[in-house]
Amino acid sequence: MDVNIINPVLTAFKEILPQIGIQNVEKTSLSLTGPLFSYKGILLNIAVVGSIKGAILITMDKESAKKVAAKMMMGMEVTEFNDLALSALSEMGNMVCANACTQFSKIDVEGLDISPPTLLMSDTECQVTLPVPKTISIDLLCDNIPIKLHVGLM
Amino acid sequence: MAVKIMIVDDSPFSRTLLADIFSEGNYEVIAEADSLDTAVEMYNRKKPDIVTMDIAMPGHDGFEVSRALLHNDPNVKIILSSSMKDYETEMQAKRIGIAGYVQKPFEAAELFSVIDKVLSPDNLFEELLRTGLEAFKEALSQNITRMAKSPLSFAENSSISEPYISKGITSIIGITGQYTGTMIMDLSTETSNNLTKAILHRAPKNSEEMLAVVSELANIIGGRACSMLNKKEKALGLRVSPPSMFHGELAELVSPSLKIEQSLSKTDYGDIFLGVGFKKGATLWM
Repeated sequence: MDVNIINPVLTAFKEILPQIGIQNVEKTSLSLTGPLFSYKGILLNIAVVGSIKGAILITMDKESAKKVAAKMMMGMEVTEFNDLALSALSEMGNMVCANACTQFSKIDVEGLDISPPTLLMSDTECQVTLPVPKTISIDLLCDNIPIKLHVGLM
Repeated sequence: MAVKIMIVDDSPFSRTLLADIFSEGNYEVIAEADSLDTAVEMYNRKKPDIVTMDIAMPGHDGFEVSRALLHNDPNVKIILSSSMKDYETEMQAKRIGIAGYVQKPFEAAELFSVIDKVLSPDNLFEELLRTGLEAFKEALSQNITRMAKSPLSFAENSSISEPYISKGITSIIGITGQYTGTMIMDLSTETSNNLTKAILHRAPKNSEEMLAVVSELANIIGGRACSMLNKKEKALGLRVSPPSMFHGELAELVSPSLKIEQSLSKTDYGDIFLGVGFKKGATLWM
């Protein structure tokens, strides 16, 4: 997989997050791994279908997820993952990935569509296997909130 | 009663033109806005039935204003207007959740017909909600019977706990097309192991092989169910993504943006949970 495939997804993050109250998106590291990785806390899975397919996953620890949800809800305090907070997080994933498809179209990868996000929550370390040989994992610092992005597209 | 309209357009000329067209039909323009902030404020104050949205505006474009309106109220019905009508613009509008699209210059008949469709019940979607899960259950049943040579029965839906906690191995498949959706198949490691043994006629070499078999099974079930649904209703055009697999400790599964219809099947190898949900994004294109 060409590592440049993450650029449209990163552009989408940088374009969408300021619209939902997070101004600064900084890439702190990038790594290429196999299809298997782990997460703990919150995971959003958004499937991509079209000329390239696979999934874009966003993971955060629970405290970070609460901060993101709070920013999206205009600073309202988030102490638990109620429907409102979960729906805010899911919407963030949806907006970023919808925008990523638009960014892909600018480099002539057209007609991509995404599925609604599914959210997984776990207090222990869980494993993920994506249907692609290689995954690109990116650590982001978004207004000092650590967010991890896993791109498995082919 | 007249349909209440809000017009979002930065050009006073276009707003006047649209208002003029609306005066020909059973519509009442109750609000106008020319920017993101005024659009959200006017929407909340006036609660229109339909929002018409220009794409090209200085500052925030029509997509950004639409996103803000949908964030403010997911049920808002937005009709996008643009002088361009190209595939990618339509796809972008659809992904955001915009309900309809009309091309400029406006034709009264076309505009009214799109509004009509946006406001009328969507029978195709209602039918998919009614029969969608059944198609996936049938695909699961057929494939377990054929591949693992085991009969399968479905338990009462009320027996499924809420929120749903994964039993060990979860396959998630994304569905796109006229509507988007998700299929979730979940089973315990033990059931996966038993099922893999039955399909391969031998024990799996390692957990990777077992995962691969379960993933392939989910893939076949999702693909089969969608092609059954497409065969019945060509307009659905459903397509599936390959499954993302989740395994390990107890993870809670939530689907905040769509309701998942659930079913639990009983097999000789153990229980298999199947969840399916569909979402209506933008569906009505002229």
